[in-house]
Amino acid sequence: MSPRLDRRQFLKSTAGATAGLAWLASHRAPAFAQKRELTFLSWNHFVPASDDELRRQAAVFGKDAGVAVRVDTIAHLQLPARYAAEAQAQSGHDLIFSGGATPFLYEQMLADVGDIVDEFGKKFGGWYPFAAETAQTKSGWRAIPWFWVSFPGTYNQAHFRAAGLEPPKTWAELLRDGKILKKMGHPVGIAISHCNDAHTTYWSVAWSYGAKVVEADSKTPAINSDRTAQVIEWYKELYRDAMEPEVLSWDDAGNNRFILSGKGSWIHNPISPYNYALANKLPIADDLNHHRSLAGPAGIHSAPPILGLGIWKFSKNQQVAREFVRFLFRKDNFADWVVASNGFNHPPLRSLADHPIWSQNPKLAMLPGEAEFAHPRGWPGRPTDAVQRIDINFVMADMLAKAVNGMAVKRAMEWAQDQIAAALKGQLRAG
Amino acid sequence: MAVAPRVLEAVVPAESGRLGGVRAWWEQEHVFGYGLILPALLLLVCLVAYPFGMAIYLSLSDSWVGSPGHFVGFANYRELLGNEVFRQTVRNSFVFTGLALTLKTVLGTWLALLLARNLRFKRLIRGAVLLPFVIPTALSTLGWWWMFDSLYGVVSWTAIRLRLIDPPGPNWLGESVYAMAAVITVNVWRGLPFFAITVLAGLVAVPPEYYEAAEVDGASAWGRFRYVTLPLLRPVLAVVILFSTIFTFSDFNIVYVLTRGGPINTTHLFATLAYQVGLTGGNLGQGAAISLFLFPMLGAVVFLQLRYIRRE
Repeated sequence: MSPRLDRRQFLKSTAGATAGLAWLASHRAPAFAQKRELTFLSWNHFVPASDDELRRQAAVFGKDAGVAVRVDTIAHLQLPARYAAEAQAQSGHDLIFSGGATPFLYEQMLADVGDIVDEFGKKFGGWYPFAAETAQTKSGWRAIPWFWVSFPGTYNQAHFRAAGLEPPKTWAELLRDGKILKKMGHPVGIAISHCNDAHTTYWSVAWSYGAKVVEADSKTPAINSDRTAQVIEWYKELYRDAMEPEVLSWDDAGNNRFILSGKGSWIHNPISPYNYALANKLPIADDLNHHRSLAGPAGIHSAPPILGLGIWKFSKNQQVAREFVRFLFRKDNFADWVVASNGFNHPPLRSLADHPIWSQNPKLAMLPGEAEFAHPRGWPGRPTDAVQRIDINFVMADMLAKAVNGMAVKRAMEWAQDQIAAALKGQLRAG
Repeated sequence: MAVAPRVLEAVVPAESGRLGGVRAWWEQEHVFGYGLILPALLLLVCLVAYPFGMAIYLSLSDSWVGSPGHFVGFANYRELLGNEVFRQTVRNSFVFTGLALTLKTVLGTWLALLLARNLRFKRLIRGAVLLPFVIPTALSTLGWWWMFDSLYGVVSWTAIRLRLIDPPGPNWLGESVYAMAAVITVNVWRGLPFFAITVLAGLVAVPPEYYEAAEVDGASAWGRFRYVTLPLLRPVLAVVILFSTIFTFSDFNIVYVLTRGGPINTTHLFATLAYQVGLTGGNLGQGAAISLFLFPMLGAVVFLQLRYIRRE
């Protein structure tokens, strides 16, 4: 026979359980009386040791300040959707890692951090020029530039030496040298495919030739121009005479493999192939070297990833978040974090960039100076959501691929102009 | 048997009053029946109907990630029809699905015929054939991606060593035709076991007497296949092709891992373009519209196929 509860038994047992829970509760502090918690949403760093160091510093800060600091890291491609959800719900993390268009997209929802920006600028020898371009909206600074990732020329000096060549200084010299190197069996390589590197290089070359993708008002398509035609012609010649068709199928690691295999003589990339060769004791590490970003008729310009820190207005811990940012920007802490990333994280402030990790290695010494040439995508306009869409839809990579595959330059540009107009349509209000 | 009623009485004591009333109500056939399907219905409403309705609403709005958007009627659909990348995607989807499906049907039936023979290690071979279907697509496609690499890939290397092609070999994922061939190859490789095993089940069900009768009548091997096997397999094939059409049209993993829709968008399918525009690009309205373009097409396919199957 199955036991059945009568009303009296039920009351007895529930009263007992309630008393038990009450006792348990009395022995644990209620949530609101617990230590305050500061939460920070960041990306999964490409050099994991960098995140380890960040967490270590967060723990030290937490101990000193009497708060628990939680650092949540997620894949960078998932960040935009997360920001949208937090902004929509008006709750979530206190401090966020901001990239690309974030300060402009969430201008109304991010706290003004102009005071910290001023303070750091005075303390650390001033900000590099890109800082304002990436974080200063019409209504004020909506993020503190945190670090950027340099994008120099990486070359195999053994191949250049064998050809009797010096590393190039301009995009035109790269084309000239690339033709010679390809004939020797060591072509150069720039991705013309659906990957991020393809656009990083396109923006850099285009700016160096004085070409634009969008006008300074961030609303008008500007790719259909004589300057762009010049850039496309340069790409066509480079593709035909100095590269291999494999650049049309590269992902972001394609050029790394190309130069590490010993076949390639030059790529446009962060220093990751060199770091990889060093870490894995590959003999090619001796041959790899880096040079400054290349110049065009309109000077030197570069489009590296530039990342920042933003504080949500809805955060109840804004003051603690500011203190935490100050702690991260303490000279010793910033230096430890740079070392943990093996020089991958570049400071956006001049005196912080003066660090032995770069200056002691002649192959890396020129990297901090690259900051002088850096702009966010969309420059001379702002890095709006529309610019993000142009990048994500690989408009310029496709325009180039069409042209190198035989489409008339004018038609390829018109196609891109249409795609850019579509991306700009329905644009969110830019700051 | 005479004990049974008393046992029941002991286990389920007589109920009186309200509880008994509820029980009587619950045990009516029409209430109990609906009660049983209610959990499934709830799941369908929450996981299928609601997202579907939401997608329709989004496709008719100018929603962006992080902003609610307004009703814009069919503007998203009109814009898509005018967009070259979308039109290219429609063409790609038909080429991809048409070729992959034809290959899977022919090769799958062929493989099933081979598997139906009495081979040594029959079970082992049949198990091994299922492997491509069992391995997670993203992982196996990564393997293919490496194999198709134009410089270091084993596909080009083997073809060059066998003197089938001249070095340096085709740029598999960088040229439109080759890239489409590559994504179709991987889709066929992955979808073949599903065809083979299902058709094999159909083959096993064909009574051997039919073959014996055909042989007595002097039918050749081709004749036996054409006039005995194929007509009896038709219902099975119809179902397999129906399912496979849906899976192939809405494929995502293979293209996303191999080409990300490149080169020049010549391998984009509805799902990959919708993901690129809607999720990474943040244009939820247009992304939803792209994915909904699939719906009437697949609806038509399902309708025609089901009608055919019912007639059979």
